[in-house]
Amino acid sequence: MDFFSSSGVFYALIAVFLAGAIGALFLRRKDSAANIWGNSLAATGSLAGLLFAGASLLHGSATAFSLGTSFPLLTLTFRLDRLSAFFMLTVCFVALICSVYAIGYVRHYYGKYSVGVLGFFYNIFIASMILVMTVHNALFFLIVWEVMSLASYFLVIYESRQSANIRAGSFYLIMTHTGTAFIIVSFLLMYKVTGSFDFETIAAGLAGASALMKNAIFLTALIGFGVKAGIIPLHTWLPGAHPAAPSHVSALMSGVMIKTGIYMLMRISLDILTGSYWWGIALLAIGAASSLLGVLYALSEHDLKRLLAYHSIENIGIILLGLGSAVVFSSAGMDTLAVLALAAALFHTLNHATFKALLFLGAGSVIAATHTRNIEKYGGLIRYMPLTALFFLIGAMAISALPPLNGFFSEWLTFQAMFQGVTAFGLTTRIVFILAIGSLAFTGGLAAACFVKAFGITFLARPRSEAIAAAREPSVLSRLAMAGMSAAIIGLGLFSGVVMRLLEGVAGSLGSLRGAAPPGSAQFQSVSIENGFARISMPVVFAGIAVAFIGVMAAVYSFTRKRKTITGPTWDCGTRLTPRMEITATGFSRSIITVMRGVLRPSSETEIEYHDANRYFPKFGTVTMGLRDIYQPFIYRPLRELTAMIARHVRKVQGGNVNAYILYIFLTLIGLLILLDVGS
Amino acid sequence: MFADAREKFPAGSHPANVNGRMFRRSLAIRLVTAGSTNACEQELVALGNSYYDVERFGVCFVASPRHADVLMVTGPVTRNMRDALLKTYEALPTPRIVVALGDDAIDGGLFRGSYAVLDGARSVIPVDYEIPGDPPTPTLIIGALMSILADLSGMQAQKT
Repeated sequence: MDFFSSSGVFYALIAVFLAGAIGALFLRRKDSAANIWGNSLAATGSLAGLLFAGASLLHGSATAFSLGTSFPLLTLTFRLDRLSAFFMLTVCFVALICSVYAIGYVRHYYGKYSVGVLGFFYNIFIASMILVMTVHNALFFLIVWEVMSLASYFLVIYESRQSANIRAGSFYLIMTHTGTAFIIVSFLLMYKVTGSFDFETIAAGLAGASALMKNAIFLTALIGFGVKAGIIPLHTWLPGAHPAAPSHVSALMSGVMIKTGIYMLMRISLDILTGSYWWGIALLAIGAASSLLGVLYALSEHDLKRLLAYHSIENIGIILLGLGSAVVFSSAGMDTLAVLALAAALFHTLNHATFKALLFLGAGSVIAATHTRNIEKYGGLIRYMPLTALFFLIGAMAISALPPLNGFFSEWLTFQAMFQGVTAFGLTTRIVFILAIGSLAFTGGLAAACFVKAFGITFLARPRSEAIAAAREPSVLSRLAMAGMSAAIIGLGLFSGVVMRLLEGVAGSLGSLRGAAPPGSAQFQSVSIENGFARISMPVVFAGIAVAFIGVMAAVYSFTRKRKTITGPTWDCGTRLTPRMEITATGFSRSIITVMRGVLRPSSETEIEYHDANRYFPKFGTVTMGLRDIYQPFIYRPLRELTAMIARHVRKVQGGNVNAYILYIFLTLIGLLILLDVGS
Repeated sequence: MFADAREKFPAGSHPANVNGRMFRRSLAIRLVTAGSTNACEQELVALGNSYYDVERFGVCFVASPRHADVLMVTGPVTRNMRDALLKTYEALPTPRIVVALGDDAIDGGLFRGSYAVLDGARSVIPVDYEIPGDPPTPTLIIGALMSILADLSGMQAQKT
């Protein structure tokens, strides 16, 4: 066990990723060799990372190691406390599955795009995510953060012959750099107070900082990391960028890359700083808004991967509800409850990584088989891809929080944490918690509706386009990867009590919550919250569902055993049933969108062409439903215009006159001298 | 009035696997108009009015063959209606009973021998009962249906 958590293993696994990256680039002339080399080394590295992170997590105490460089400020310090180890575990697990999947999946890029380049950026991307989770130095953090952003940017624009991808990639690049600017400000503020870039020293030095400074640090970090996490209204890059990437990369981006933002928000609000009350309320509000709006946008989406991307925003919102509750509890000194809420947030982080990755892999198989992302063109795929359908269904059930799968347990925990908030606080805070609970409940219902749509329209009924008939299951390795992820989802559901206990340990290891007693008891047999306020036993849930299922099947069999069953076509009243008569995704979501039109501002266009001048006999009609983008005109465009306006005014300063420039230098010099004088 | 449906309305054999208790209280009918002159339909419409009120006997007309026990055919079965009749027959759940209503449906009647018709329902699907008349009166139809019900239930029809 100690062997796996040694620094040698860590350096070795980073080296494996680098070898995978560079080797793939060297092998780029031969697509299959580049594919196998790049992805199998990525899988090896991820497996090693999984063992390393798992060993570190069980190890308990934090392991730190550093790599000296000749730059005084830049000693590469790595520190694996339990939080880092947990996030690294999540990254490596998803990366392992995605890499195995990719070996089969990448084949359809042969001859179209360079597989070597994909392997290069893919390996760099995973390695940089692992480094982001483990470095303990702000400067080095910024470097690997930038590497991660750039690697993901190149993966987003990988299918570069589609101009939409380039546009999505550019928008992502601008947004992520805006975020990085805020992160830099945040780190510089920390440096200003503590004089150090080392997280450990910063945490110790910030204890005595003024409230204003702490608030400024938190706010800049919230914006900076919020962009990466995809909170509303900073999410606009996400639904464009995630679908543009190859599907196994989308799975990684949606499953774990956006969690790097969550990781740093947790680290800053609860480990480096001590949470203050309004931060928690702000996180709760953002979480509620993101979860609700995310799922509503997903409902109106007809691009399978964009739909999943919007669900990532929703799930980030759910995680933030847990984190926000934890911060509120922590600021009120209720560390036990904070541990509970944070454990819920961590659990949902892990769960979302598993089922979102599975859904993206399933979507990737469907898209590779049908060559379209428009779900109106699918239908009846369950007959051509039964295993993919099964895996997608498991993922859809998990993300809809249906028992007994893992999504159910973490949402249940989040609910419990917020219920505790309702009982523990006064009126104002109570109202905030009640609203958050309401939004989470509403979100859960809408998510289920959305996945009824996504699964039903994609896999059930009859094919809506000819391409469906040619659809086949993906390769054996891809199916194996999806099966592995499905097993993990079921396993995390069944053993959630054990995982819960582990995550309470992770939550309790954070700076401001250190030594807090775990709330209630979490065991395999049952999890109990706060002296029996609530209690659940996942094995019993599993057994109950199994018994109910077997019971219903037995009853149906015993009643219908003697009957003869004849299978015939659906009665069609003499007309011929065509796939055009099936319910469409637009039709399915229309009623919900219409109910929520105050929030969603849908645009609906109806075009009907008539046979006759009196407009009695319509030839055909088309209804186009879309959502108006409210973020561009109300937030982004004013910002852009403001920037442009300032830039126009600033341009006057830069007149191209050398004399004027010398004057500026002179004025600056005098100004600095005065500042120095005042300072001393 | 009708002592024995099998004597009065002979056609084919007793429908297979009919359980005596199956149709005791209700009979759901799906009507297919296979090229009828609309005469039979007029009489069937009269069954629903308050004077004849066939529903008091548990007989009702349903909109889908999936809900029906009885397929009732009117008209001499034109070539255009052949597929529709066959499809409807196949859509009926078993045990299914076919009743040909009116002379046209029994053997083509007035239209017999025309190139446009197939001379009655029997040429397309097996017919279990025939109700003659061109068209039969509502009273006759009700009486026939009662006899059919009685026959299906294996009981002696009550004298009316």
